[in-house]
Amino acid sequence: MGNILLEALNVRVVGSAEKILVLGHGFGTDQSVWQRIVPLFTPDYRIILYDLVCAGSVNPDYFDFRRYTTLDAYVDDLLNILDALGVDLCAYVGHSVSAMIGILASIRRPELFSKLILIGASPSFLNDKDYHGGFEQGEIEKVFSAMEANYKAWVNGFAPLAVGADVPTAVREFSRTLFNMRPDISLFVSRTVFNTDLRGVLGMVRVPCCVVQTAKDVSIPASVAEYLRTHLGGRTTIEILKTEGHLPHMTAPALLAQVLRRALSHHSEF
Amino acid sequence: MPTPVTAARQCLTEESARALDEAVAVARRRSHAQTTSLHAVSALLSIPSSTLRDACARARSIAYPSRLQFRALELSVGVSLDRLPSSKTVEDPPISNSLMAAIKRSQANQRRHPESYHLQQLHSNNNNINNATGCSQTAALLKVELKYFILSILDDPIVSRVFGEAGFRSCDIKLALVHPPVTHVSSRFSRTRCPPIFLCNLTDSVSGQVGFNFPFSCQEDGFDENCRRIGEVMVKKSGKSPLLVGVCAMEALRGFTESLTRGKSGFLDGDLAGLIVISIEKEVNEFVTEGNEEKLGLKMKEMKGILEKCTASVGGGGGGGGVVLNFGDLKGLFLEGVLSDSVSSLVLKLTGLMEVYRRKLWLIGAVETVEIYRKFSDKFPNIEIDWDLHLLPITSSKSSFDGAHSKSSLMKSFVPFGGFFPTPSDFRSPLSGRNQSITRCNLCNEKYEQEVAAILKVGSTVSVADQHSENLPSWLRMAAVDTSKGEDVAKTKDGETMLSAKVLGLQKKWDDICQRLHHMPAIYKLNLTPAGPQVPIVGAPQFATEKKQSSSEDPSINESRFPSQSPSTQIPRTSEAENTNFQSRLLVDVSSLAQQTDKVVRGFTHQPQQNLSGRNPSLFVPPVTTDLKLGTMYASTSQESNNLKSLDHKERLQRGSISAEFDANTKNTSYQFAQSSSCSGLATGEQFDQGDYKSIRKVLDEKVGWQDEAVNSVSQAVSQLRRSYGSCRGISCKGDIWLTFLGPDRVGKRRIASALAEVLFGSQEYLISVDLSSQDKGSQSNSIFECQELNGYDVKFRGKTVSDFIAAEVRKKPHSVIFLENVDEADYYVRHSLDQAIRTGKFPDSHGREIGINNMVLITTSTITKGNTTVFFEKKPMKFYEERILGAKSWQIQIVVGSISDDVSRSNVTGTRVTKIKEASASAFVNKRKLIDTVESSELEKTDTGERVCKASRSCLDLNLPVEDTDEDLKLGESDSESLSENSEGWLEEFLSQVDKKILFKPFDFDGLANKIVKEVSSQFQRTVGSEVPLEIDQEVMVQILAAAWLSERKGAVEDWLEKVLGRSFAEAQQKYHLTSQSVVQLVACEGVVVNEQAPELTGYLLFSLPALPRFIYNLTFLELKIAFKDWKGKMLLILCKLSWCDQLMNRP
Repeated sequence: MGNILLEALNVRVVGSAEKILVLGHGFGTDQSVWQRIVPLFTPDYRIILYDLVCAGSVNPDYFDFRRYTTLDAYVDDLLNILDALGVDLCAYVGHSVSAMIGILASIRRPELFSKLILIGASPSFLNDKDYHGGFEQGEIEKVFSAMEANYKAWVNGFAPLAVGADVPTAVREFSRTLFNMRPDISLFVSRTVFNTDLRGVLGMVRVPCCVVQTAKDVSIPASVAEYLRTHLGGRTTIEILKTEGHLPHMTAPALLAQVLRRALSHHSEF
Repeated sequence: MPTPVTAARQCLTEESARALDEAVAVARRRSHAQTTSLHAVSALLSIPSSTLRDACARARSIAYPSRLQFRALELSVGVSLDRLPSSKTVEDPPISNSLMAAIKRSQANQRRHPESYHLQQLHSNNNNINNATGCSQTAALLKVELKYFILSILDDPIVSRVFGEAGFRSCDIKLALVHPPVTHVSSRFSRTRCPPIFLCNLTDSVSGQVGFNFPFSCQEDGFDENCRRIGEVMVKKSGKSPLLVGVCAMEALRGFTESLTRGKSGFLDGDLAGLIVISIEKEVNEFVTEGNEEKLGLKMKEMKGILEKCTASVGGGGGGGGVVLNFGDLKGLFLEGVLSDSVSSLVLKLTGLMEVYRRKLWLIGAVETVEIYRKFSDKFPNIEIDWDLHLLPITSSKSSFDGAHSKSSLMKSFVPFGGFFPTPSDFRSPLSGRNQSITRCNLCNEKYEQEVAAILKVGSTVSVADQHSENLPSWLRMAAVDTSKGEDVAKTKDGETMLSAKVLGLQKKWDDICQRLHHMPAIYKLNLTPAGPQVPIVGAPQFATEKKQSSSEDPSINESRFPSQSPSTQIPRTSEAENTNFQSRLLVDVSSLAQQTDKVVRGFTHQPQQNLSGRNPSLFVPPVTTDLKLGTMYASTSQESNNLKSLDHKERLQRGSISAEFDANTKNTSYQFAQSSSCSGLATGEQFDQGDYKSIRKVLDEKVGWQDEAVNSVSQAVSQLRRSYGSCRGISCKGDIWLTFLGPDRVGKRRIASALAEVLFGSQEYLISVDLSSQDKGSQSNSIFECQELNGYDVKFRGKTVSDFIAAEVRKKPHSVIFLENVDEADYYVRHSLDQAIRTGKFPDSHGREIGINNMVLITTSTITKGNTTVFFEKKPMKFYEERILGAKSWQIQIVVGSISDDVSRSNVTGTRVTKIKEASASAFVNKRKLIDTVESSELEKTDTGERVCKASRSCLDLNLPVEDTDEDLKLGESDSESLSENSEGWLEEFLSQVDKKILFKPFDFDGLANKIVKEVSSQFQRTVGSEVPLEIDQEVMVQILAAAWLSERKGAVEDWLEKVLGRSFAEAQQKYHLTSQSVVQLVACEGVVVNEQAPELTGYLLFSLPALPRFIYNLTFLELKIAFKDWKGKMLLILCKLSWCDQLMNRP
């Protein structure tokens, strides 16, 4: 089971240091998104990379539409991977949907995580009474129907928007990974993500967190970071990156690396 | 001489004769004089269960979807027929000689191959394909059997050409005809039999999984992931009562209880089957809000009864049973946010129940946020154990998956282009990349569809593919380019021909792209899993829906689409329904197609091969674009000369004495450099030893006169090292020079580095400059220095690590000076790279690729100095220190004329002084560009000089930030560097111990310069205005001028500016406003007005104030001002005028 999973989700372990760092990629990307970050941390960490089951690099046959209706299944995957690798303590860096997954995983297995670093995280993308998630239900439906109608056009429009910063290589790279996802899976996953609401459970997190957000992110309003800070149960800090876009690890890896390093070094103090 | 139809018929079997009749009918319909082979082909293709078509299906190239190819075939046949001349209608167009000859040939053939004839007969009997041709054949041997008839028709050069155009090869078809499939299943259907894998996430039989899991089928199952997870919790031994936490928890709870009551408990383990749900939510609510205990009591009693029964049945051996007590939303227990005492009794009751019936009772509830639960558990600290609770985070509800979801449209979006690629076969060993082929193919299909749609709708020639190719690896782009050429050909045609040709071209293009993509994964796969069954996908069962879908999308086209499809509808729809649609649209155009289409069709067949052969093997080469200019961020000479160029360009006609002088100046220096580099350039700088020291020193001295000691040691070090390297010319000889500049004077260090690049390598282009601290620095916007760094960072490093950037630059410029500022703040990876580079002479990038740095000069800088040297520059209290100057902002400078009576405190002051002037004053005045009037060419020259100063200092004649801010900035910087790296000092020490030479810089004497400038300004002022008028210079202005002086390359640039720009401004102010001792003239920074690099002339803004202003406004309207400015520089200038304030002024007595 473990091996199949490791193989199916392209789990890679890089580096040989003692401390373990898990990198979880976000929606529309795969583990290659970390390629500019990984070399900066290999000397100090053993890095575990894996693909979410929805990533384009994973055999779509593995994507069980009945199972992956909520993020919990993704959490299962993550925890199974960590168990299969015999990890008993790790720092976790999650981007976007992986940040959500990290939150849930740390609720389920708090002892497993020494630190969560949440990049571009949001507990819920939908606006609510006293919560500004950035999207109205109607808007999201529009997005979905756009995805359905013409996935390609949607990707072409969405990729530069998400990348935000003017980095053609990043846009290209992101479009590539986004295209790699089967459109139906992509749509299904984004529905899952938009249906997810972690607000009620943030308080169950006990692991210290670091919320990393860029100065301007189309999908995450600035207030969300503050919301996370006040509601996450663990000791939480915020880092605002002086760059734009939802994918700082692609557009400003050096900048992000320093923030990550800082965040990771802080957790050893506790 | 054509043969009558009847005569020809006699040579044919019944079936062949029927085909011939059809052919004759075709010829008649088209009013052709004779029935030719082409007519026969057309007829043979259109008759039901056509042997020819069948053979074609088997023979067709795997590269194209069959539907597509058949369409192409029909198209090309149709076009060829169109080309035949029509005549007056004949009853039965006689058989042409060529067709007759074919019949004769087939007769002969049949006679020659009796054995294959028998074989064929055997087969046709077996598989019923050839429609009982057998019987008639035996009757008359000489009668030509349909198969041979077809075979010989295919020999006809016209026919084989037509087939060739559609991508078929006649020989393949012939082969397919001679060797019919042996399968019993009708070959036409065999292809569509296998399930379309891409539609479902199931697997083949190997995995043992069955099913066709449609994405949203989960609702039909009646449970979702949440239920499953609840079930998981309930199975556990302890903590088995789930408390759902989350915003959607209530919904999930409802879903769970509903499916339990409906009897669907498939998600529960066998042990838990037969659970009964009792909901006391309503009762609890009533109890809490109204104190109504009765109902609750009743319910509890009822439940007790059931529980008793359950436990009893356990005793009796019955396995199942149990009660799930749903207490609903935990919030319900709160009354206006408070837990009342009555709740405690309820809680106690439940606790009691749990104790008694622990094995048979589950509590279940939901709570919106964990905070509410916390409040609850504060009151009842033991609740988690008492109720055996397990907090279960619920993150989404399934309900949102219901509803508006059209399956077919989703389907459509991932129907792959064609059924020609092998499907994944081995589930257990997923191959990365294999799946990409599928999605990529969807992608291609979609792209193709989109393009065609665009063309059909707008008829525009804009190709999405070109944009798309951006996203594709470079080798794919080739294809796009190739085909767009083909498109161009198509473009020259007119009307519908053009349209259809384009569509064809597009199809081909996407085919190509698609095929390329599949090639690699397919080969890969073959190597790895040779035994895996490769089932080509062709069909999808959803054609009907798709068709509807597409038709509803575009009804107008649809009408024309369907009739033309009709001849082929018996053939099962293959998955590329979209293609069919486009194809059939083409068919509509067929009648009007002209000869040109042929070419396109031919292209359709030939180009793929070309493309394949010309396939570029270099995969994935991301284009790297870097702005080289940024290598020189500050006012280095190259920048200046660039500026000069642009200035020259602007002022082509305005070359006056001053600018000429200036030019000459730089020419001289560059001539020198050219001389020195001419000898070094060719020999890659190796020969540069004699006189090295002197020439280097001379140039450096010129550039950075104030750092004479540093200049001396740099020139010494460089010349010595080069000499020693020059003497040992072995291959292994180290040729890189490592220098470290320590201490203050950032500009000086940088200037020396760029001068070195110029001296050693011939141009300042060969300076690779990186500020290692800039990536993480909180920066002040608009500051002279920072904004450049910020931009530099953005452009240079986005998407790259620093070491990658450096490596890439080194690759581009193998002989250059690498200038790394603030090496103490380098991140880990850069440090690692530097370590390795200094030891091995090779600089590794983040991927471990190394690049040699022989012949490079590597200069690292750090403000950190060791020991007493630090004290040396800190002990002197300075008014203007480097950090403050570095904070200078690019704001405009204004002259404000005030009345002395405004400010009593000033009244006694005369002369010039540097003060802090409130920034608020700046915005309150109307700005006026000086020199607006009397624009003479000579004056222009002078102004230009002023500009040049600004330019040279990179738009620095502007403002700075308040002192407090500067301090903050400083602190920020310090804390940053502290936090950056704990062990940086240790590393730095080690690193510095390895460099060839450490050079200490001394601080720039800003105070001295400031005094000089003040003196200069005041003398200017006194000369023009008079000594009795006091002049105040804002500190910030001072900082700015200092920054400019520091940055400017040319000696005397600032002096020039003072004289030509400031002096003139003073003069003008004096002339206009008759400054008296009652006035105060202030030189202030215009906060917020950033000097635009493109419009440096803005720097001379003048601000006239108070009594003068109304007159000023009357005299010059905005319009005039604008015109004046326009004339002056061809630039519209920004004019700030607060009208409200003006009104105020005018109302003053």
